[in-house]
Amino acid sequence: MGQTITEKILSRVMKRPVKAGETVYPVPDLMTVHDWYVVNFDKALQEQGVTQLFDPTRVLISTDHEPVATNPANAERQKNVREIVRKYGITQFFDVGRGGLGHIFPMEMGTITPGMFVLAYDTHVTNYGAVGCLGIPMVFEIPEVLACGSCWIQVPETVRVNLTGALHKGITIRDVSQRMIVDIGEDNLDYSVVEYGGPALKDIDFGGRMTLCNNPLEMGAKSALIETDERMIEWLKPRVKGPIQPQVSDLDAIFKSVYDYDLGCLEPQVAAPPRPDNVVGVSKVAGIAINHAFIGSCANGSIEDLRDAASILRGRKIHPSVRLFITPATQEIAVRAGNEGLITTFMECGAVMTAPGCGPCAGGRIAPVAPGEVSINTGTRNDPGRLGTTKADIYLASPLTVAASAVAGEIVDPRKYL
Amino acid sequence: MDWIYTGRCWKFGDNLAVDADLTKKEFASQRETRPEVLREFCMCGVDPDFPKKVSPHDIIVAGRRFAQGNPHIQGLLGIAALDLGLVVESIPRGSYRNAINAGLPFLAHCEGVTKECETGDELRVDFSTGVLENLTRGTRKSYEPPSKEQLDIIALGGWKAMFAKRIATMRAEGTIPAA
Repeated sequence: MGQTITEKILSRVMKRPVKAGETVYPVPDLMTVHDWYVVNFDKALQEQGVTQLFDPTRVLISTDHEPVATNPANAERQKNVREIVRKYGITQFFDVGRGGLGHIFPMEMGTITPGMFVLAYDTHVTNYGAVGCLGIPMVFEIPEVLACGSCWIQVPETVRVNLTGALHKGITIRDVSQRMIVDIGEDNLDYSVVEYGGPALKDIDFGGRMTLCNNPLEMGAKSALIETDERMIEWLKPRVKGPIQPQVSDLDAIFKSVYDYDLGCLEPQVAAPPRPDNVVGVSKVAGIAINHAFIGSCANGSIEDLRDAASILRGRKIHPSVRLFITPATQEIAVRAGNEGLITTFMECGAVMTAPGCGPCAGGRIAPVAPGEVSINTGTRNDPGRLGTTKADIYLASPLTVAASAVAGEIVDPRKYL
Repeated sequence: MDWIYTGRCWKFGDNLAVDADLTKKEFASQRETRPEVLREFCMCGVDPDFPKKVSPHDIIVAGRRFAQGNPHIQGLLGIAALDLGLVVESIPRGSYRNAINAGLPFLAHCEGVTKECETGDELRVDFSTGVLENLTRGTRKSYEPPSKEQLDIIALGGWKAMFAKRIATMRAEGTIPAA
């Protein structure tokens, strides 16, 4: 019986063949936790009298949700995080300035490789699928994973998506991706892993691959990953020390469903309030005045996304009634943005750069919106309150659409700015 | 644990948001988990007086994608804290896990259940078998219950109790060090 990539990865971890639907307790190769949950997991472990982690060398902690403490209470929390890291002997700790967004920099550093299995405190660990790793969010139960080494999961079914066609000018993977999750639908995506392949994959860069692996979980997917191709291996080669094990599903693997999805989306797509699946063509929302714009997050904080934004912003000025925040997701992306002159472009147009990490998307802890304001951004979600107050409207779009809208002062089709 | 709840139906629609509808949004970022706090704000986004109206073993019946949104547990802990049951047409997987983690008796795959009852109807639900009886209408429907493993966690009272039990077992086996 053939296996999907997901079944193969979990079979390796379980040291026996497993198939979709089984309940298993797999021990992950890596467990990641972000800065805003460290104090909480420590409290949960203390309540059970746990003083040692299952394997502290397999734990990675990143300071990304609030890299720059913005008040004394948060500075104290950061201090506590450092003490907790020392107490448990956690070796992979990436404090402010050392890595950036934890769903991205471990791939840049070569820590994440095809075929790995990661459990994480944070939903967007699915980004690791961009390099063929199965990243599964384990939110409330992460103290159990840290103490006992595992937690129950049901081996997920796989939805196979074969990408075909080509992007039209002014349309990005974000447009296609947020349209696609609506087209495939919640019933298919719920508790499934989305596995991407197909002839168009070779044309999709690393940033686009992260976006593809990021969006589906907003519609209930368990994870998402990309089958190993030459482009992935080329990206990994200079970063990974050991051998790279390509991951592909067997020809006779059983999928929950199979889609051919054409990248030739006709119009830029915008997720309107109040949910990421409320996706419409940009023409439906064009003209809505905005106050706040943001480019970054684990969905669209890559160097390719910043290049897209700069292609619109170069030589232009942000509209007087708009503030635009730009967050390179990682230290490496920030360095590249500097080397390529993108930061100069952003600063000259009137945008503000924030510290590498999640940016405003992490609950609006930095650069939030005020009641009655409207934001358009490249973040992951647009639930009321995602950027602070519940009384603001949040639209999600591609870096091109966000940049063009920041210039126009209202939501616009970016194609006339290219 | 007694899996059979008999109480009034409280019916809601589709797409209720786990943070903004089921509880106060701030509780997620505050990581609030105290039942006595969360019960007071249960369903506050749709009906602020809801906690005052309900009695233990009443049953929330809702449509598709109940508790959608970033899978925070607070909204589900609030329902469990009021000792209510939950019957929904569908629930995203993150919130499905969190219903188990909250120790909340629930039926997750009840296609068309919102047509089977109205707010105020007297219901009897067996969460271990999936049988829902509408005593007011005299009707009976059968749905898929959670798995045996999942019911075991709910019966213990949720994730926290299950975690404590697992720690104790692993200590007894010598798999992890003693406290």
